[in-house]
Amino acid sequence: MSYYFAIIGTQDNPLFEYDFGTSKQGGDGMARFTEQARQLNQFIIHSSLDIVEEVQWTNGQMYLKLIDRFFTSYISCFLTASNIKFLLLHQPPTTTSSSSSAGLPPSSSSSALTSSSTSTLVQPSHSSSSSVLPSLSTLTGGSNASTTTLGGATRTSTSIAANPTSPQTEEAIRNFFAEVYENYVKAIMSPFYKTNMEIRSPVFRARVAAAGRKYL
Amino acid sequence: MQSADNAPPNADPLASLPTMANPTMKPLPSKQRGQPLVLDSRPLPNPAETQPTTPVRERRTNPSAASLFRSTLTPPGSRSGSPAPMGSPARSLTGSVFGSGGFKQSLLDTAAAENPGDPLNLILKSFVPHIAIHDSEDVEHLVKEKGFKGGLFELLRPFGERVQGRVTIRDSNGASKAWDDFSVRFTKFGEAVEDPDTLPDPRSLRGPPPNGQPPGQYSMPRKKTSLVQQVEQVVEKHLGFAEEASMGTATPTTPSRQGLDTDAPSPYYALYLRRLLSGIPMASHETFSHPVACVIAISSRHPAPIEALRQLYSETTPAEQRIPPWVDGDFLRYYVLVHDEERSDITKSMQLFDQMKRHFGLHCHLLRIRSSQSAETDDDSIPLPRSDWMSASEELADIERSEQLQDSFDDDPHLFNRYIFESDATAIRTFIREMVIQSIIPTMERNVSLWNDQVASRRRGISGRFMSLSKRFTVFGSSSSSSRSSTSGSSSNFETLGYYRPDTPEAIMRRLADFAFMLRDWKLAMSTYDLLRTDFQNDKAWKYHASANEMAALSLLIMPQNMSSKNRVEIINPMVEQALYSYHTRCSSLYGAVRSTLLSLELLRLRGGTGIDESVRWGTRLLEMRLFGSIGDALLRERLAVCYASKRGTGSQLWGSRRRKSALWSVLAAQAWVGMGKYLQAQKCLADARRMYSLLPSEFGVQGFGGASELLAGLNEAVREGVRVTREYAEALEAEGHHAGEKTMEGGEGLGLGLGLQFDEGSNLTIRPKTDPSATDGPGKGETTEKVEVDVDVEQDGFNGQSTSSASASQPAVPTPSASSASQSQSPEIIRASSDPSHQQHGQSGSAGGATGGFENATPTSGNSPTRPRKASMAVRTSRVLSSADLEPAPLSPLMPLRLAGQGQGSQGRDGSGNGSGSGSGNGGGDKSN
Repeated sequence: MSYYFAIIGTQDNPLFEYDFGTSKQGGDGMARFTEQARQLNQFIIHSSLDIVEEVQWTNGQMYLKLIDRFFTSYISCFLTASNIKFLLLHQPPTTTSSSSSAGLPPSSSSSALTSSSTSTLVQPSHSSSSSVLPSLSTLTGGSNASTTTLGGATRTSTSIAANPTSPQTEEAIRNFFAEVYENYVKAIMSPFYKTNMEIRSPVFRARVAAAGRKYL
Repeated sequence: MQSADNAPPNADPLASLPTMANPTMKPLPSKQRGQPLVLDSRPLPNPAETQPTTPVRERRTNPSAASLFRSTLTPPGSRSGSPAPMGSPARSLTGSVFGSGGFKQSLLDTAAAENPGDPLNLILKSFVPHIAIHDSEDVEHLVKEKGFKGGLFELLRPFGERVQGRVTIRDSNGASKAWDDFSVRFTKFGEAVEDPDTLPDPRSLRGPPPNGQPPGQYSMPRKKTSLVQQVEQVVEKHLGFAEEASMGTATPTTPSRQGLDTDAPSPYYALYLRRLLSGIPMASHETFSHPVACVIAISSRHPAPIEALRQLYSETTPAEQRIPPWVDGDFLRYYVLVHDEERSDITKSMQLFDQMKRHFGLHCHLLRIRSSQSAETDDDSIPLPRSDWMSASEELADIERSEQLQDSFDDDPHLFNRYIFESDATAIRTFIREMVIQSIIPTMERNVSLWNDQVASRRRGISGRFMSLSKRFTVFGSSSSSSRSSTSGSSSNFETLGYYRPDTPEAIMRRLADFAFMLRDWKLAMSTYDLLRTDFQNDKAWKYHASANEMAALSLLIMPQNMSSKNRVEIINPMVEQALYSYHTRCSSLYGAVRSTLLSLELLRLRGGTGIDESVRWGTRLLEMRLFGSIGDALLRERLAVCYASKRGTGSQLWGSRRRKSALWSVLAAQAWVGMGKYLQAQKCLADARRMYSLLPSEFGVQGFGGASELLAGLNEAVREGVRVTREYAEALEAEGHHAGEKTMEGGEGLGLGLGLQFDEGSNLTIRPKTDPSATDGPGKGETTEKVEVDVDVEQDGFNGQSTSSASASQPAVPTPSASSASQSQSPEIIRASSDPSHQQHGQSGSAGGATGGFENATPTSGNSPTRPRKASMAVRTSRVLSSADLEPAPLSPLMPLRLAGQGQGSQGRDGSGNGSGSGSGNGGGDKSN
């Protein structure tokens, strides 16, 4: 199971992107998207905004559950009060490639490389916000290392990877979204953050990763 | 080859027919294959009025062959003027889902029914009564003298596609309705028979090979390729021709309007559907192609006419085995005496005709035509239109023949553009009208009411249900429904033979339903199909079952319905589902599966509202099943984009519309086309996608996403490259010829389209002859671009420089050999761009992190959009600042909203034309400065 998580601003602009794999059932937490799929995922997420715009009027909840499907990609949505959308694309493993994808060094290593490089790169690029956000995160009491160890303790796995439409999956994604939302609110409480500004806090990224490990 | 210039223009009476020889295609006297024919190199007409005009382009090939491809070269003719509002009339936010209101009226009342290219119109015109033609040898001889090798069939066929005048049909309730566009289909007697799967020896049942075709051509391998594959081949030929024809002038294939044209399908898709529906095989499970009537024709030259008619009649009886046993032999015989106006005596013919009437009753006609061949120089000659409804294999054969002709330098003007006398045309039209109105329609109506009373209504009542039950569970039940001995042993009429004999109640009911469908009595058709569905399921006659489901869904979709969308989903979807499943999985009938799903998709789309989502669901289902070849796949993707585009939104923000989805499918289609090397189509799809993105309320389209905009830029680059290569190829060919000097190159247009310019609005572009085409594509930074280059070219440079970075990502998508040579000059950039670790983050870091970029000003803070002029000027400002710097390729700006990109870069390009790639907008500068 591979996940692509994006926070979309009010102008269809991505505020935060993160892709990861499942950590349950011995997964290594790496996304198994190919380079092409990675690009396509962004299109899919973007096109799902059409559905979000429609579904948001039918439902008073913030968690809109599974809203869209594009071939084997399923999209769940969480809508914040300020019309910021959390979209999670989840792709159940295809039966044949699930075993082979474990031994796929180029894609996984490249993804690790890009994700690490981006996180290190964006850090110095905007000095004001990145310097504030870590201090804010220390206030909330989670450092990078502690969250990883916390996320490492996995509970007994429900097989949410296999069936993306099951209630268990729905519940797991709800938990994931709730945790991300909590952290998101904390992150954007920074006085220097404006609407539709990209979230580049490495702490936030780490917490999203932790939430992903914990629930998905 | 004669020039068509002096042919009489469009004022001929055949104009009522949908296909006309295109008067704008003027052949030139040139016979060399490689030598291009410069026909009309006038520049693009005024963009405001481009829509209905025929795209004029070079014909590289035989002009007579061009007429073969006419159906896709011309835009769909005579479209009804205003796009009628489709979808639900009441739109309010009260419903749970936007646009979910019921669709009360029949689909036939919408404008779609009249639009010739529209799928609904295609459906109406394809499920029409088939009339077999069985003529004597002397008739064939006479018609051959007129220049038609295929006999009377070939002469009559184009005229059956639109029966002149209104045709009034009474439905089962006695209410009559007049139709303007009734049509019939002529077939040769005993042709196009499909073998049922379980028949022991199907070969013996087939008639003699059709005599219009060379015997070797339709041998086994051709038969083995399925109908769907043939259709794909035809469309591919058309596409190939379009690409070839437009090599020099890369005009867009279809005139583009604002947004996706949701009313008229793309010509290739329309062709695909049309060919799919053209050659409905004479199969056992549906009776659409079974002859409703048979025209038995003799000529006035025959020495023993009455005997000949009797002989011909006996050949059409089932005993002669020229028709398969599942076809009811009890169809109407219509006797025609073809009178030769020039050589025969009319009084003798009249006598003979009276005699015929005495012998054969009222279904007779005296057709008076001239036997000499008509040349186009004759005063009253009109071109015989090509049939719109040729089957795919026929058209393939035609195309192949024309290709062979080209190779052999032998051209026969009468092969593709044939002429008949106007008096003949009038006579044939009158004949067809009389036959349809006085004989065929009344016979069908009578049959419908008869079968309805005797068979179907018995089944509709309570007792009918019991009867079918008892038939299923007891042995004696079968005797009540069928009195023959052949089925007495088994409980089903189906199992022993693998098909239903024509006199079984199931077969009769199926014919009843099909007749009702052809006579457009949807309600009766629907209810009968519905009865049949259960019957066929009980008998496990899966192909019948699939077909009944398919037609039930179609008639339910066409007829006026009062059901809510929820009901509709619950009723129609299972029908389509069962049709698809039975066709595909149980019978492995690719043709049936594709046809049923595509047609349901189209009708669902016309229903609007949630129907559009469902139609796309079926489309994705088809794509998932991989039933198509690559052409069909790409066409379907294009179609899904149109489907989504035709969903209307609500309110100022157009909530509930599917513009992003539509753009996504356009991009996917472009990807597919690029993979096939069909760059013109890809270009069109990309332009569609770009237009859709620019219509979004948000400013950015999809370009906020780094990877997505990379993908788009890569596609842009591939298309641009492909178009350039084909253009260069054309130029190389041209250089061999003698036309090189004075030809106006319009390549800038095609490139501009790849760039993201809208040509509807870009009328201020000046197009000049380029001396060296390769000078424009070297995007090197320090390159001294000639000042001669117009602003179009400068933009190209900027674009090129930006998109090279992503070209590295999608390098294999550029399959042309010269792509490598072109990329050599760019290679340092590419390497650097791809090794740049921040590469992926261009979009994000650029948008917010630009200390110098100024782009963050453009990031709207609270959802209100800044005005366009401000942004445009901003783009100019930033890029001027940046133009001195050594610029990184930025993947973002090909996706800038078009107005902005066009204006900003264009004006800026003139300023900074010294450094060719200086048009990077804020993003490039943003991360350069970091």
